[in-house]
Amino acid sequence: MALFCQYAYAQNRTITGTVIGKSDGLPIPGVSVVIKGTRLGTQTSGDGKFSLSVPATAKTLVFTFIGYVKLEVPIESNVVNATLLDDSKLLSEVVVTGSGVATSKTRLGIAVESVTAAQLPATPSASIDQALVGKIPGAQISSVNGNPGQQVNIVLRGINSIQGGTKPLILIDGVQLSATDINAIDLNNIERVEVVQGAAGGTIYGAQGANGVIQLFTKKGKPGSMHVDISSSAGVNTLINSGDVHKAKSMSLVTDASGNILGAASGKPLVFDKTLSYYPENVTWNSLDPLNQNNKPYKNLTYYDHYKEFFKSASTINNSISIYGGAEKIDYNVSASNSYQNTTFKNNGDYKRSNFSANIGIQLFKGLKFRTNTQLIYTQNNLLDQTGRGILYSLNNTRPFANYNYTDPDGNYGSYFGDATGVNGFNPNYNTQYTHSKIAKIDLLQNFNLTYTFPKFVELDVKYGLNYNTNNNTYLIDAQDNNANAGYTQVYLTNYYSAPTITQTGETTKDNASTVFQNLIGTATFRTDFKNDFHLNIPLKTSTQLTYDYRKNVYKDFITYGADAPSYTPFNSSNYLVFKTQYDYVEPFITYGYLVNQKFDYGEYGGISGGFRSDYSSAFGRGSKPFTFPRADAYLRLSSFSFWNDGSLGAIFPEVKFRAAYGEAGIQPGAFQRYVTLSTKNVGGSSAFFLDPNQPNPDLGVEVSKETEIGTDIAIAGLKEGNWLKNFTLSVSYWKRKTDNAIYRVDAAPSTGVGSILQNAFGLSSNGIQVALNFSPYKSKAFSWDFTTNFGRSKSIISSVVGQPVVVTSAAGSSNYVLKAGEKIGQLYGFLMLHKVDEKAPDGTYFIPQSQQGDYVAASNGWVVSKTTKQPFVTSSQYSLGDPNPKFNMSFINNFSFSNIASLSFQVDWVYGSHIYNQTKEWMYRDGISGDYDKSINIDGASGAWTAFYRGVYAQVSRNGTKNYFYEDASFARLRNVSLAVNLHSFFHTKSLKKLQLVFTGRNLVTITKYTGYDPEISSGTGNSAFDRGVDHNTIPNTKTYQLGLNIGL
Amino acid sequence: MNRKKIYLVTVLFALVITSCKKQLDVKNPNSPTVDNATTESGIISFAQGGVYEDGFRTLKYGDGIFGLFYSGAVGFHEMMGDVIGAEAANGYINQIGCPDYVILDDGTKVLNPSAPAKQHDFLRSINLNGNQGQNTTYYEWAYMYQLNNVCNTILASVSKASFSGDAAAKKATMTAWAYWWKGFAYARIGSIYYAGIINSTAGATNGNYVTKEAIIAESNADLDKAAAALSGITNVADYSSLLGKLIPDFTQVGNGGILTIDEWKHNINTLKARNILVNTPVATMTTAQWTSVLTLANTGIQQGEKVFTLRSNATNDLLDALSGSVSAKTTATAAGGNTYKLSERFVQDFKAGDKRLANVKQTVTWLGNADRGNIFNTRYTLVDAGVAANNFPSGVIQFSNRNTGGYEMFLVGSFEENELMKAEANIYLSNLPAALASIDKVRNAEGAGLAAVAGTTSSVAVVKEELRKERRIGLAFRGLSFYDARRWGVINDISAGGGRTNAVVISNSAVVSTHATINYNFLDYWDVPDNELAYNPALAGSAPTKNPKQ
Repeated sequence: MALFCQYAYAQNRTITGTVIGKSDGLPIPGVSVVIKGTRLGTQTSGDGKFSLSVPATAKTLVFTFIGYVKLEVPIESNVVNATLLDDSKLLSEVVVTGSGVATSKTRLGIAVESVTAAQLPATPSASIDQALVGKIPGAQISSVNGNPGQQVNIVLRGINSIQGGTKPLILIDGVQLSATDINAIDLNNIERVEVVQGAAGGTIYGAQGANGVIQLFTKKGKPGSMHVDISSSAGVNTLINSGDVHKAKSMSLVTDASGNILGAASGKPLVFDKTLSYYPENVTWNSLDPLNQNNKPYKNLTYYDHYKEFFKSASTINNSISIYGGAEKIDYNVSASNSYQNTTFKNNGDYKRSNFSANIGIQLFKGLKFRTNTQLIYTQNNLLDQTGRGILYSLNNTRPFANYNYTDPDGNYGSYFGDATGVNGFNPNYNTQYTHSKIAKIDLLQNFNLTYTFPKFVELDVKYGLNYNTNNNTYLIDAQDNNANAGYTQVYLTNYYSAPTITQTGETTKDNASTVFQNLIGTATFRTDFKNDFHLNIPLKTSTQLTYDYRKNVYKDFITYGADAPSYTPFNSSNYLVFKTQYDYVEPFITYGYLVNQKFDYGEYGGISGGFRSDYSSAFGRGSKPFTFPRADAYLRLSSFSFWNDGSLGAIFPEVKFRAAYGEAGIQPGAFQRYVTLSTKNVGGSSAFFLDPNQPNPDLGVEVSKETEIGTDIAIAGLKEGNWLKNFTLSVSYWKRKTDNAIYRVDAAPSTGVGSILQNAFGLSSNGIQVALNFSPYKSKAFSWDFTTNFGRSKSIISSVVGQPVVVTSAAGSSNYVLKAGEKIGQLYGFLMLHKVDEKAPDGTYFIPQSQQGDYVAASNGWVVSKTTKQPFVTSSQYSLGDPNPKFNMSFINNFSFSNIASLSFQVDWVYGSHIYNQTKEWMYRDGISGDYDKSINIDGASGAWTAFYRGVYAQVSRNGTKNYFYEDASFARLRNVSLAVNLHSFFHTKSLKKLQLVFTGRNLVTITKYTGYDPEISSGTGNSAFDRGVDHNTIPNTKTYQLGLNIGL
Repeated sequence: MNRKKIYLVTVLFALVITSCKKQLDVKNPNSPTVDNATTESGIISFAQGGVYEDGFRTLKYGDGIFGLFYSGAVGFHEMMGDVIGAEAANGYINQIGCPDYVILDDGTKVLNPSAPAKQHDFLRSINLNGNQGQNTTYYEWAYMYQLNNVCNTILASVSKASFSGDAAAKKATMTAWAYWWKGFAYARIGSIYYAGIINSTAGATNGNYVTKEAIIAESNADLDKAAAALSGITNVADYSSLLGKLIPDFTQVGNGGILTIDEWKHNINTLKARNILVNTPVATMTTAQWTSVLTLANTGIQQGEKVFTLRSNATNDLLDALSGSVSAKTTATAAGGNTYKLSERFVQDFKAGDKRLANVKQTVTWLGNADRGNIFNTRYTLVDAGVAANNFPSGVIQFSNRNTGGYEMFLVGSFEENELMKAEANIYLSNLPAALASIDKVRNAEGAGLAAVAGTTSSVAVVKEELRKERRIGLAFRGLSFYDARRWGVINDISAGGGRTNAVVISNSAVVSTHATINYNFLDYWDVPDNELAYNPALAGSAPTKNPKQ
């Protein structure tokens, strides 16, 4: 009360001023201007100007802006101008992730990467994960599926866990985001992102931090008057097909003299049964006939361009509004946004997301601050095929003469057109006609934060986060009783219920899953400054962090279905003739632990820190002992010593820091992986028990990941004179890590009656290097150009395996990975086709015995084929094909700014040395569908589009077996982002309009690659899998997007 | 005031940072623990679920195209027995039954287009640990050893558990149940693999591989133990009530149901007769062996007796009506329209006038992929639930019925199998009239509507042919066709007297040959699966794990 009175009677005056940057003299918008000692303040407008009402008692203004040195200017008149010095920006930023305590990067012993909102591009999905691609040096973030709502794959530093995958820990304002997918977070609501990639920093977050940490900071209100930001954008997305995937234009089926495709049984031209939507006869394809060529045009049957029919351009619309501001003791930021996307595959549904957030900070009394941050997210996902793999496979395996847009006399689509159009081909329109999917997802994130700062030494901070997610999935399949084609072919859609006859179709699945995650973190920080606090002439500062961290996760899933629809409509679930509760599962998991971390900083020269984290886990039950893991780091700033600072070195290298860190993190087994149970099922009227062939293991221990990192951060002044080449910063880190006792399923001998058992079976080791280089190639008043390049390379190998190598089949099809000691993780195995007839196996013997080499010749496409059969030679054994992971990945980011009127930025991502197993193509080789069949090759002097070769590639030795032929170089360079923003507000001379910006954004516009599939970036394996990253099996490729946006600031 | 605030805040923080170790005591609330299986009701639940689910349905590897034990593992037998063919390559099912060559009526010799082209080599090339679930030879081994393990677990629990009522009768019933299924598991293992492991400890194994003959001997020993346990039961009411809980309620119709003690013993004898019959080539069967077969079969399953069966129910708990059996996967609106294609050689083995043939339908000829050989091309498919004119169940048996509960699958033996074993033994023991009577009896039981053959011939060759045909048709889809092809020498190379002549084969260009020659040339017993050997290598002194036949 007293405080408010003071202000009521105080004499206020208005201070105005302009803030410019020293290097280019340009006004800087968005600079925070605060009266020293208060929270009163404002921000500079687009032209760098500010106006602030200040009490008479105010003496000093504080100007802060990221990338510039903080400046305090005394208030000597009603005009206070400020000129801000460029900071060696990325090197002195204050970060909190990985260090526990907010620390300037100059005083960190670990590498922490940070990205501000301004550096994140607008993405079609308005999701943060997509925006981070290419932004974090060292990190491999890949957009692996082009359907809306699909997650990115993230590898921060190598592979640390096999079963745990590579997904890092996601924090939002200091608490774990566990129940909510990162891609549900609204990009507009994020202020900045910090990334700690290794265990050295991650271990302070416990077991969950072993894969690294991505921390999101949401936007907060700023003291000053109310601001309103509105942004709106619309985009058009089209499918990327950089490899020109298409179906063969010609064909090689048996025809009559007029070129009509013949029915195999009748020998007469093939006829489509229009009532049944069906070809009653198969075709004859003498694919292995050495004389058969794929060179005949379609005559009696029409060639339909299925890609034209089923791929269309999709749209995205994003709208957001945020209202923010604050007063001395309160700040607020309330925002709402909406994002809409539909799919590039015809009628596959749409995806809508609405976000609401309220972030309010209140100073309750001196020293005690309270903050509440609420985020409410509603996602409605109407996609029929989430990954799109089912429908794309169906389409890709259909011969092009199938007219899938045909509807029968009843107006229905057919499902299966007969073996003539390909045995694996099914009509996606049939799915569209009969299935309806709706996933309604509600996410709630509620964070409370209470901070009490004692007058001296101690700060207490408690954070509580409640993260709730519920997924209500309704999947409806209509009764298909009257579909003539499905009735005849007996190919109809079911889900859980395997309807014995088509008259028993019609099914509704309801899947209700929820996760309640709670995270409580209490931290006490003790800080001392020997100079100020104890009046000792030692420039020593200490900070001690004690943290208690509690997490509880309860996951529930309940699935029911009703099947065999009644004959009437409308009806509801209670009218189905068959019911079942398919699944009912609850998984509670609790872990808590303590962190002790002690840091010493000696002046500006250097510092060390060390500590340990001790965790309990419910996976080990009540009597478990905690697992304790240490960490330590140190840094030394050479540039702070006078020999450096005062000499010529200091002029060239104003900042040189060396750092080193070590940390261990224990990755706990899953909630019930140590808990042996019996499986249950109903057998008619009785309850039955059985043994799951895949058994848990009560003796499982934690996986221990250990990391060492060393690095340096260097600032180079650049050219003193002129406008070119200024402000270099370079950060380099080398890291090395290993995991002992990584858990994975290991086969057991079948005669034990057990299929497989979880074991601490693997040792993993990896190392890598990451580099970030920033500089300004050019900087003047009118024009500035900033350049960033990020580089990362890493290598992960399996250092040991208990027992036999473990073979794992890709979740995407039948490609084999082998987890074998001494080899890279993710190594694909397969049969080899040869380039030379006298090629030798690793054991030194000829693949083709010398006596038979004369029967073979290298064809014009480079592959060894039999002269007589024209089929390729394929080895009878399997060999390592190689590691699909990239040798390195790099990104190049350029920002150009023209007199504060326009800015242009673009980012190019380069992934080098990656490989993809093109299983999409292998399947399209099966029935002569791939466009490759049109390609003429020369075999032993004879040229032609020989089907025996192409079909032989598919069929020799192992049909659809993994073969090096389909293991392709998937290196690529991609114009990830290009963005042109034009500021229009300067043309309107009105105070109320602070920002009016038109932004054109292009995403993924250009891709340069040798990969012959759609998109070299996709992966069809399990998301964030440790090993299943190199297979393309009919995954929907990424999209090319053109987007136009309008940003308004009021 | 200020101090109070500080206290308040400090206490608040301190409260927050107090842990409770009790919270870590999280149990899996979803499933019972192994301890639950030691009570009476728990053992019963496990004895039922373990046998039917672990024994026949759930494995670490799998593939929906060929499916579970009764469509997959049994399906492989029917492929090699040339009852069905397959075009799909999953688990190499289009190669497992692909003959070395076929000579068509016009003299064209169609070679096996696969590489490797010979089934012996092909089986060796896929029998690798790395092939996981694509190793066709893995399945039967894994299912049967899971079944054996379940039975070992039951036996270990029964001795410790306490039962209500007549505990001795219940324990004996449970013991019989476990030994019966152990006997079945070893019978299957010993009848297809060259070597096996005798394992009587739950959850463990040993590296001492023994010959297939020793495995069959172990099967018979377990079956004898089952019979001995049954013999000791005096309280029939408790026996029946317990067995009624082990046999799924929805299978207790038709030939399925609660077996009497004698009926069960008859089932045991039929399986023991099969153990002898299917594992000895007809050419080398001794009179003593035929006598044993006859003796066992005479006390085997009698007409009308209950046997072990399986059916689908509405929720497909144990059998999927559409895809759970070989015949369901062979049923389609038109020939070739399902995963399994009905073999022309099966259809040609019907006798003219056989009413059962009406349950097989001729449609538009289906011609499969030209480069997978010609063996699977066919004009026929199975009629779902049979034709109405055949008036089942009082009339003619159905090969396929995809309605819920419609198809009765024989898990082990059947009256027809037992009767035909009698017939075959009688042929070789020179009692042709008895053999023909048995054949007629089976045909009548199945509603074949054929004229009786009893008294029509005294030619051994003719009777043998009648028997061959009846085993092909009458016992179709019961997983016996490969055993027959093997013991009759059909799978042997033509140079060794094998193969088949006068076969119906449809060429790639839809030409029907009726006098084609097929040289199957299949391996008689499979090598031990590599998935076993990789994790359980053979100890010194073990029997060879690989069939020496090249």
